[in-house]
Order: sequence, then structure tokens, then C-alpha cells
Amino acid sequence: MPAWLRTYVRVVEAVNYRIGRIAMYLLFVMMAILLWSSITKVFSVPALWTLEMAQFTLVAYYLLGAPYSMQLGANVRMDLLYARLSPKKQALWDVFTIFALLFYLGVMLWGAWESTAYSFSINERAPSAWRPPLWPIKLIITFSFFLMILQATVHLIRDIAILRGEELP
Amino acid sequence: MSYEWIAILMFSTMLLMMITGQRVFGAIGFVAVVAALFLWGPGGSDMGFSSVMKLMKWNALLTLPMFVFMGYVMSESRLAEDLYRMFHVWFGPLPGGLAIGTILLMVMISAMNGLSVAGMAIGATIALPELVKHGYGKPMISGVIQAGSSLGILIPPSVVLVLFSLIARQPVSQLWLAGIVPGLLMAALFIIYILIRTSLNPALAPPMPAEERARITWAERLHLLRAGILPVLIFVAMMVPFINGWTSLTESSVIGALSAVIAAVLKRRFTRQVFEVATRQTLAITCMFMLIIMAALSFGAVFDGLGAGRAIENLFLREMGLSPLQVLLLMQLSFLVMGMFLDDTAMLVIVAPIFVGLARVLGFDLIWYGVLYTITCQIAYLTPPFGYNLFLMRAMAPKDFTLGVIYRSVVPFVLIMLLTLGLIIAFPQIALWLPHSIYGQ
Amino acid sequence: APAVRAQGAPIKWRMQTYAGATLGEHVAKPAIEAFNKIANGQMEIELFFADQLVPTAELFRAMQNGTIDAVQSDDDSMASPTEVTVFGGYFPLALRYSLDVPTLFNHYGLDEIWKAEYAKVGVQHISAGSWDPCNFATKQPINSLADLQGKRVFTFPTAGRFLAQFGVVPVTLPWEDIEVALQTGELDGVAWSGITEDYTVGWAAATGNFLTNNISGAWIGHFFANQKRWDEVPDHLKELMRVCFDQSHYYRQHWYWSGEAKLRVTGDKMKLTTIPSEEWATVEAAAQKFWDEIAAESETKAKVVAIIKEYNDVMSKAGPPYRYS
Ligand code: NA
Ligand code: NA
Repeated sequence: MPAWLRTYVRVVEAVNYRIGRIAMYLLFVMMAILLWSSITKVFSVPALWTLEMAQFTLVAYYLLGAPYSMQLGANVRMDLLYARLSPKKQALWDVFTIFALLFYLGVMLWGAWESTAYSFSINERAPSAWRPPLWPIKLIITFSFFLMILQATVHLIRDIAILRGEELP
Repeated sequence: MSYEWIAILMFSTMLLMMITGQRVFGAIGFVAVVAALFLWGPGGSDMGFSSVMKLMKWNALLTLPMFVFMGYVMSESRLAEDLYRMFHVWFGPLPGGLAIGTILLMVMISAMNGLSVAGMAIGATIALPELVKHGYGKPMISGVIQAGSSLGILIPPSVVLVLFSLIARQPVSQLWLAGIVPGLLMAALFIIYILIRTSLNPALAPPMPAEERARITWAERLHLLRAGILPVLIFVAMMVPFINGWTSLTESSVIGALSAVIAAVLKRRFTRQVFEVATRQTLAITCMFMLIIMAALSFGAVFDGLGAGRAIENLFLREMGLSPLQVLLLMQLSFLVMGMFLDDTAMLVIVAPIFVGLARVLGFDLIWYGVLYTITCQIAYLTPPFGYNLFLMRAMAPKDFTLGVIYRSVVPFVLIMLLTLGLIIAFPQIALWLPHSIYGQ
Repeated sequence: APAVRAQGAPIKWRMQTYAGATLGEHVAKPAIEAFNKIANGQMEIELFFADQLVPTAELFRAMQNGTIDAVQSDDDSMASPTEVTVFGGYFPLALRYSLDVPTLFNHYGLDEIWKAEYAKVGVQHISAGSWDPCNFATKQPINSLADLQGKRVFTFPTAGRFLAQFGVVPVTLPWEDIEVALQTGELDGVAWSGITEDYTVGWAAATGNFLTNNISGAWIGHFFANQKRWDEVPDHLKELMRVCFDQSHYYRQHWYWSGEAKLRVTGDKMKLTTIPSEEWATVEAAAQKFWDEIAAESETKAKVVAIIKEYNDVMSKAGPPYRYS
């Protein structure tokens, strides 16, 4: 593997790891928001923003965390036949089928980007009483799909390395 | 292209993509966006992304990470150890008693978490070594743990029923209530099976040896009963404010997660390690679920928008000319077959919208149907070749629990689940009595 | 519309309504079925219910892009990026009877304003109609304004903005999730519809209390289409579409008019309460102030508010049966 590819793999994985680790703690942000929501409700002054903010946080949580979850190998595969293959054969399969994943993520990125651009252009706000602007969460979604694509290409490079009998750290 | 062809094409391509072993969400999402790009017409490229926004508005999904976290805190901090010890001491002296105790343990674990995975982890780490030590047969051990932990999705709280409530647009509180009696019934049938099996072949499940029994004092026995208080407390802290309307479902799920943490802290078992594993695994499992649901939502919407959903409805209701009960049985049967190959989330988000629609058209009670669906998922966890509990068992059990043993061990329990399913189809009141008596018809 | 269409094959449209299946059974399905029947194979509209294809929040953009060909909704819940959006749905206390809506659109110039505003964003406004009034349905009875304090209520964005000053906490959720949200405690009530819809879709049982004071006497709802798709339709089918959609509005007129009265009298699931009119006058005064705030936001909004004021002035001067106070 050329050195620049090795660097690419290292940098992408490091970035996704860090972002994923930060996203991981959004779980507690969600808990805090929902707790605050029940506390204010007890005092009959429920906050306007809690539910939507919790929804935004959940989206950021699982999408920013998604590349890290790919690193952890958390995404189930139907390994009826796949599990019986040798690591090399699995890598060979993946080199082809990963393009399906890349294609899907590409279309998602495209859709997310268009929606974000639209959101900017009309200063779109959520149709609620709180009326938060929607571009920040849409930007996060777009960024996440971009990171997922980078992560998927890293898996592709790793599979090629396995096929060539090379070791990537 | 006719609607029927679109339906067949989309389904078969999806299955084919999944068999390649690519990540399930990638396989489903790929078919969804390709179909949208080529068959939808203008604006088809948006159909993938719009499911992200749809998902964002599904409130009940906020409970998913909370219940997953709760389950991991309980299993990682070995909160259930004392609980197991309690059943061990009280039931151990009976033939088959440890297996019965394990089932009862699983019922309690199920009342504290919404998935099957926590039960599997607890069963494999706490119950399994004891059962092995006391000379229980491997098929009995493996079967009891896998079947028992699957009760986690039927006895409330249940993540599967939350997801079903979103698809079927039915109140989750009623669905949860509807799961209680069938869950207890199924547990009772498991116990009856264990009793019959051990009386036929006592070697499978020997009672605790006399000398071990002698070492346990009555004081310890009574002391251990206190372990049973913890699950009751957690269940009450979570469910009482919810049932009374003081907190919403999502808020209750946070209370549940926090009470598990508090219990672990009080027992001085909430270590850095527990925190790290629970937090990381929660992210991993939540991402796995959400990405599959996202892809499957796109698939479902594209499938619907291309008219394929209607084609299936047409096929079942008009062209085949079946009676409602026949359609129901056919749906359950195809669910069972699919459950062998698909995971329950994929089954839920792809197939359930069509089946729920059919069940509604046929006039079936969707609360009842939700219970049937959940039991089918339980069975799917246990049926080879693709079953969560099978995989977990293989990963968690010692090497001498071969795949053959694990596969064979589930057979009697799957049959009992099928029996329960049949009973609930024949007597819907088993599921509906409780929600009806609390909420009225 | 499908990408590949054979020569002479029927025009196919996808329409998504704001309404879920139970409500859509009344307010959308009959008109669409009638259209398809009369169009006799030349054109077919496939109807999809709330959130079935795209989430309601994305509905407008989906129509603009052509992902959906046509939409049935009010302006407010699909958040149209237009100057008239605040008036769609329930503009607080602007309308009293369902006939107010067609009158304003056909005889006071609102139709032209709406058509012009939607043309700017690439959408054809086909027709406006009057739907049900807006009352509170809540789990706890409302006997005074103070009872509204802290209630989490599902309502329209503009109505929510208005009601927040009385301590109401407006919540926006997918329409299909409302009944469940009432049962799971996410919501304390709805200010979304009249009593007919409450009974039809199951909210009556989930709430149990109905406040007779309404914050609007009628809802303005519309049918829209993607401009390019609309232009492709031959004239006679355009005309047929207008007629069928108007027929849908007409169906609502008598369905709601009859239901609103009958269910108050014979319905057994909801207890009726009323805020005394002296106290309710505070809300009416607040509405006048709200209108002026909205009018100050832009020229178009000022124009619509002026028309609404003029209309209400005529109606109250005309006296009974147009206005009783
Ligand atoms: Na459970
Ligand atoms: Na299975």
C-alpha cells in the first residue's frame, strides 16, 4: 500500500474515532434534557424546547456515532454464507459489495446536502412554537454521511490490503 | 412495469444483497435508493434522505438508547447476581430447580429491560456456569437461557413493542400491558416443560447435592429474598409515574436507566469498566438499530410509492380469495420463515407496514396482532440459521457448547412458543384482557 | 410520477394528504376516488396518508421537487415558505363559520393572493376550502384560562405561537402519533380540530374533555400541485380536478357542520366545559393584538389582515344570522 493511503486510513479512523467518542456521550445530554423536561413538567411550566432538542440530539448521537460503530463492527450482516468464508474471501466479497453501501451513502449525502442548502436559502425553521432553525441539524446530518463514506472507503482499503496480504495497523 | 413485478424485483434484490453479507442497512438502503432513482421519477433522489427526518420525529425512539443502556448497566455490573443466588438457594433443592430458577430470573430481568440481549448476557455469565457445575445437560442449559431471555421483548418494558407501536400507530402502554399475561403464560409453559422433562429423565437436571443444601442457613435464605426487592423497585420507579401520566414514556425510560445506575452505584459495582462498556455498547447497538430502521423506512416508502404495497394487498385479499383467519395464519407463517433469515428490526420495518395494513383491513385488533408479532420475533431469535440469541449463545458460552448443541437445544422451546402463539390466536383475551380491563374497550 | 411512461398511458400522480388514514377516509379518499372514476383511465391519482411517503415537515419541498405531485394540507402544518402561511390552518379568531372561507377566497380576493404567493415558489394553488373549527380537547377539564397553564398541547404552529401567552406549551408531532402521545403522557391535549375529528380519529376517548370556546371557527385547507406536473395535465382534467376538490370541501362543510352540533349533544365520550365569555374576551382582545403584530411583518400579510378585518366588520354590522355579538 502506498504511504499516502496508509496515512489516509490512519487519519480518517482517528477522526471518526474521536468524533464517535464525543457523540457517545450525547447519550447523557439526552438524559439531561429529558430529565429537565420531567422536572419542569412537575412544576407545571414545561419547557418548550426539550422534546425537539432531544430529537436533534438523538439524530446527532446515532449519525455522528455511526462511523465509530462501523469501526466497532456493530452493523449486523446476514452471515448465513458470509460467516463460513475465510477472512480473505470475506474481504474479496466486501470489495465488491461495499460499493452498494457507498452508493447508498452517496445518495443520502446528496439528499442531505440539498436539504441543507434549501434550509439555508429559506432560513427554514421547524414548524413548532419554539421554531428552531433547521440548518444546524441538517448540516450535522450531511457531515455525518460524509464521515460514513470516508469510513466505508477505509474498509475498502483495508479489504484490499488483506487481499494483497499486507498488514494495516 | 407492473406493480407486482416491482414488488417481486425489490424484494428479491434486497434478499440477494443481504445474502452477500454486506451490512444489512447498506443492503436495504441500496435497493431503496436504486429503485427510487430509476423508477420513481422526478425527485426520487430525496426518498432516502427524507426518512432521516421522519425518524427524527418518532419520539418513542428516544427510549431505545435508554433501555439499551439500562440493560447493559444491569448485565455489566452483575446486578442480577444476588437475584440469581436467591433463586438458586430457594429452588436449587428441587429436581430441575435451577432451570426453573433461571426462567424466573429471566422473567424478572425482562421486567427491567426492553431487549433480549441483557438476559442473554446475564444468563450466560451468571446462570450458565452454575448450571454446568451442578451437572445440568447442555441442551437444557442452552435452551433455558435462550428461551428465557427472549421474554425480554414480550414482558414490558419492550423495545420491540415500542417499534411496533410506531409502525402500527397503536398506544404503547396498551401493547405493553397486552404482553404481560402472554409473557407469564409462556414462562409457566417453560417451567411445566422443565418439570415434565426432568421427571422423565432426572439426570438432565439433578437437584442440588445434600451437603451444599446443608451449608445454606435459613438466615441466608431469608436474607437473599431482599435481592428480589431491587427489580421490583426499578420496575415501580419506571412504570408508576408512567402509568399515572406524571412522566411520558421517554422520560420514564430515562428514570429506568438512571435507577439501574443508582442501584449499581449503591452496590459499589458501577466501575469505570462498567461505564465504558455500557456507554460504548449503547452507541453501537443504537447505531445498528437506527441505521437499519432508516434504510428500511426508505425501502418501505419507495415500495409503497411505487404501488408495490398495494400489489401485495391485492394478492392476499382479492386474488387468493382467502378468509381473514387464513390470511392471518399465512402472514404468521411467512413471518416465521422470514424470521429464520432476517433480523427482527428488518422484519419489522420492511414487512410489518404491509402486514399491519393487512391486519387492519381485515379488522383484527392491532394490539393483539402486536403480541403475535412479538412472539414471532422471539421465535426468530431462536431459529437457525440467523438468530440473535443463537449468535450470542455461541459467542458467550464455553467451547463445548457446539453449534449443533445450541441449534438442537432450542427445538422444544420453539415448540412451546408456537403453542403459546396458537393459544393467543385461538383465545385473543389472553393478551387483550389486561389492557381492556385497564383502559376499557 | 413514474419515470418511464408509455405512449398514451394514463397520467399518474402521487398525492399525499396531511390526514392520517382514519380521517383521510372522509376528507380525502372520496374526492380522489370520484376523480379517478370520472377520469376514466386518462389520469389516476394515488392517495397516500400522513407521513406515508415523506414526513409532513418535508411535504412542501417534496412537492416543489416533484417527489410528490400534489398535496392536500393547510399552509401552516406543511410550513410553506410563503407570506400567507401564518393564515393557513387556524389564524386565531379570524373566522367564525365554515362559509367564511369560501366567501373570503371567492369574493374578497384571497384566492388571487394565494395563487400569486404560491406561483413564486413553483407551486400551483388549486383550491381552498373550509374545514373544521379549532377547539381544545384535553385530559383535564378547562374551566378557566388559568387551567391552560403548563398544558402540553398539539396544535398548529401559528396557533401555538398565539396560545403560548396563555401558558400553553405547543407541541408539534406527527399527526398519526397524537393518540399514542396522549396515552403515553407526551401530550395533555390537542387544539387541532372540532369535536367531529376528535370522535372520528379516537382523540375523544384519549382526552375526555372538550372546551366549547373555539380559537377559530374554521380551518383554511388547500389542494396544491407541483407547477410542472400541473402544466402537463390537459385542461379538461384540470377542470375535473378543481371540481372534485371543491366537492371534497363541500363534503367537509356538511360533515363537520352536522357533526359539531350532534356530537356536543349526543356524544358520550367527552365532557363539555366553557370558559365564561367575560374571561374569553381576554383571548379575543389578544387575537386583535396578534393580528396587528402579524400585519406589521410584511406588506402581503398587512393586506390579508386588512381583508380579514374588513370582512369581519361587514359580518358584525350585518347582524344575525351572520354574527350574534
Ligand atoms: Na422487557
Ligand atoms: Na432466526
